[in-house]
Amino acid sequence: MYKTIETDVLIIGGGVTGTGVARDLSLRGLQCVLIDKSDLNAGASGGNHGLLHSGARYVGSDPKAAVECRNELEILKKNAGHCIEDTGGLFVAVKGDDETYIADFPGMCEKSGVYCQKIDLALAREMEPVLSDDLIAVYQVNDASINPFKLSIENMNDAVSRGSQFLSFCELIEFKLSHKNIDYAIIKNLNTGESFHIKARTHVNASGAWAARIAAMAGITINMVLSKGTLLVTSKRMTKRVINRLRKATDGDILVPGGVVSIIGTTSIRVDSPDHIYPTISEVDHIINEGQRIVPALKTCRYIRAYSGARPLVSENNTTDDRTVSRGFTLRDHEINGVDNFITITGGKLSTFRLMAEKTSDLVCWKHSIFSTCLTKEIPLPSTKTGGWSEPGLMANEPVMSKTGFDPILCECEMVPMGAIDTLVNSVRQNKGKPDLISIALRSRVGKGPCQGAFCSLRIFSHLYDNNVIQDHSDIRDLKRFLNERWKGERSLLWDQALVQSSLKEMIHSGLFGLELIENKQ
Amino acid sequence: MKIKKTADCDVLVIGAGMAGCIAAARASSLGMKTIQAGNSSSFFFASGLFDLLGVFPVETGKIVDRPCSAIAQLQSEQRDHPYSKTTVDQIKEGFEFLASFLDSASLPYSLPGTDNRHILTSLGTFKPTYMVPQTVSKGCNLEEKNILIVDFKGLRGFSAKQVAAGLATKNRQTQVLSIEVPENLGNLNPVHLATAFEKKEFIQHLADKLLKFSGKADIVGLPAVCGIHNSLEITESLEKKTGMDVFEIPGMPPSIPGLRLKNAFEKKLSGLGTLFLSNAKIIFHAMEKDHFILRAVNDNFETRIKAQGVILATGRFPGGGLFARRDIILETVFDLPVFQPETREMWHQLNFLDPKGHLINQAGLETDEMFRPLDKAGKPAFENLYAAGSIIAHNDWTRLKCGAGVACISAYTAVNSFYKRHL
Repeated sequence: MYKTIETDVLIIGGGVTGTGVARDLSLRGLQCVLIDKSDLNAGASGGNHGLLHSGARYVGSDPKAAVECRNELEILKKNAGHCIEDTGGLFVAVKGDDETYIADFPGMCEKSGVYCQKIDLALAREMEPVLSDDLIAVYQVNDASINPFKLSIENMNDAVSRGSQFLSFCELIEFKLSHKNIDYAIIKNLNTGESFHIKARTHVNASGAWAARIAAMAGITINMVLSKGTLLVTSKRMTKRVINRLRKATDGDILVPGGVVSIIGTTSIRVDSPDHIYPTISEVDHIINEGQRIVPALKTCRYIRAYSGARPLVSENNTTDDRTVSRGFTLRDHEINGVDNFITITGGKLSTFRLMAEKTSDLVCWKHSIFSTCLTKEIPLPSTKTGGWSEPGLMANEPVMSKTGFDPILCECEMVPMGAIDTLVNSVRQNKGKPDLISIALRSRVGKGPCQGAFCSLRIFSHLYDNNVIQDHSDIRDLKRFLNERWKGERSLLWDQALVQSSLKEMIHSGLFGLELIENKQ
Repeated sequence: MKIKKTADCDVLVIGAGMAGCIAAARASSLGMKTIQAGNSSSFFFASGLFDLLGVFPVETGKIVDRPCSAIAQLQSEQRDHPYSKTTVDQIKEGFEFLASFLDSASLPYSLPGTDNRHILTSLGTFKPTYMVPQTVSKGCNLEEKNILIVDFKGLRGFSAKQVAAGLATKNRQTQVLSIEVPENLGNLNPVHLATAFEKKEFIQHLADKLLKFSGKADIVGLPAVCGIHNSLEITESLEKKTGMDVFEIPGMPPSIPGLRLKNAFEKKLSGLGTLFLSNAKIIFHAMEKDHFILRAVNDNFETRIKAQGVILATGRFPGGGLFARRDIILETVFDLPVFQPETREMWHQLNFLDPKGHLINQAGLETDEMFRPLDKAGKPAFENLYAAGSIIAHNDWTRLKCGAGVACISAYTAVNSFYKRHL
């Protein structure tokens, strides 16, 4: 007999949308269970710039999205300020860029009510000294940067404090349907291999790029195209503000600062599956070659990581340029497909996650015949301790000694002390997850500095043994998995100093410890 | 104002890692006037274990027990590997030279007969290796023993429980003990801890703790931090006080056994009259008749060096012997041609720990049988330029576990060849 969890709403997908829906519904008094076959932000929510659009990016291609971005920016700045850095942004054009687009830009912004102010070129270079000498036009806009990991952690923490729960590494195996309804869902805990049931009144598919796959489990077809975008993290912050290339959206034209680093991207490549995507070397070279047109230092600076996300785009017709598919979101009530208690929310973007959660929650409440209004516009998102460790560079400013006095730094690149690791282990356990290097790294800056996990992995791993968090030698595979996870982001960036670092890492983990000789678990 | 000097020598060794030090050791032992220039910080990454050949073939991950017969097989299958330019007897001879050199520098190593040893690491894995410090070698035989593993609170990356978990895979029941170092509130620096081991009071403090396991344990494993100087004497005095055998367990950098090697080489080489130019960058200026003219530059001095022969032991990327741009790999002192995969796409596998290894680790200098780097035409680039260590191509030592062996045999052979031909 399987264990059954009963709940009001089952949410599938632990990205910004899913966690946003969990918080929104929890605030309205509904209890949710959120499951993810991986961990928080494993998809596009973790694979983006961390850019909060002012809307200016979309004034030409998608005015509706531009207005949504503009409005959401104001709400989030007010209610989730601790996840946001109000950097401001610039749109810059260089010699050779489309002059018609440049000329039309202020008018288009005005039409959507998006703030934009022309800036003198000399002043622009004073504001951001790394800008190219080839500037021909600069506009100031209201872009900001947001930490999507912190955002999801805080949204989920708030939902949990209101009675909801998050189950990581729990995969949906099957929907059991009866009488135009999902009766219950069969879930498998990927850490333990156990299966269990979740019986919910309503089911929300917030699985982003996996949405078509989840919908298909209820016999429903959603036409989606997946567009892979790759981004690069520089080892130092390049600019104070978000820098956008002032042209029609294409590759390598947004540079977003976040804490002590900057992120440059992206690309747009059609992929068949959102699983196992990784940055390729040609993408990296392409982004650097494009990015250096607006910020020449991008050619010579050190990069510490590359990563990819799959944009979930809902396609109504056949198109070959994925950037022309609407960046607006799609909310489907599957009642029209004959499954009354099933909803899919997909598409959209990070900047409008709250609005997506609001509209989804409205529909859930309508189905439950609950008359309620959305509260996420008014009630600020609380800031918790576990959210704080995900911020780039910020930890270095915090007092690192714990109350007991004994608190060695385990990750020296990002200054993460032992006490912080213990806090994160507890937090993972509260979510019924398995505390290991990967789940700790997801919730912190561990492994994200220049050494890319070469040293901190070993120090944290030993500490986990010391604290009996892990006990068996076979858990050494967790270390392998962690290093391979880091590797996905390193492999395309290995030249100059980054190659030196990865060579040292290989000397230690292969040369001395022989980790490659440990067999992977099937 | 920089101080400018000039210096003449028979042989200039560029590089102060393992290969560079062995080359300098051999050259000065043969009585050659030797200058060595480079940065010795790589020793902090050296485990102190000297591998010969630990895994072969790498694709199958087969652990090598008999390295000499595995080398014979490697020589027949991988014609390009540095070992294929030499013989098993020469390799053995190189190791014997190295062992006796270190012995004379008061850093005794234990040379086995034919078999590899499997050394317990701080991760709980066993490393197939060949020549090991005597402080480590007692840990090779743990059969039927009651083992106690000790860690020190605050010494990061070393957990007795973790080591015990590794031993449990070999059905060894192990006891663990965690020792607090007085007044330590955070990171316990391995160098400071190793220095503490050199104090009698600390050894007594430690012995008192260990004696509580008297009768329950007969061998004690400690992290490899048992003193910087006289480590063997220190472990032996612990053995006397406790009646238990004591062995060291190597682990993550900074490595104290590596530091001991660095000190041993520096002290002994200086005694043999080798001039060491620390942290100097070497710039090749020109050939003057048969001599190399080079400049050794650092922040404080500039030395013009005239050398009859040069040993290039600058290592790969960490050592700075090779430099990777986004599009190409270059050799940094002589701009020699570098064997390398065609495109960056081929440099690395998709999996960091792919048993096959990364193709970029095959990159390096092609050499002749005497380890002289070749030019584009396949001829020695310079009559008296030799390469030693990891800068030589076709040698993925991290997977084969043959880094020290290749460093030793290439340095030893290169210096011998130069000596025989020109002096």
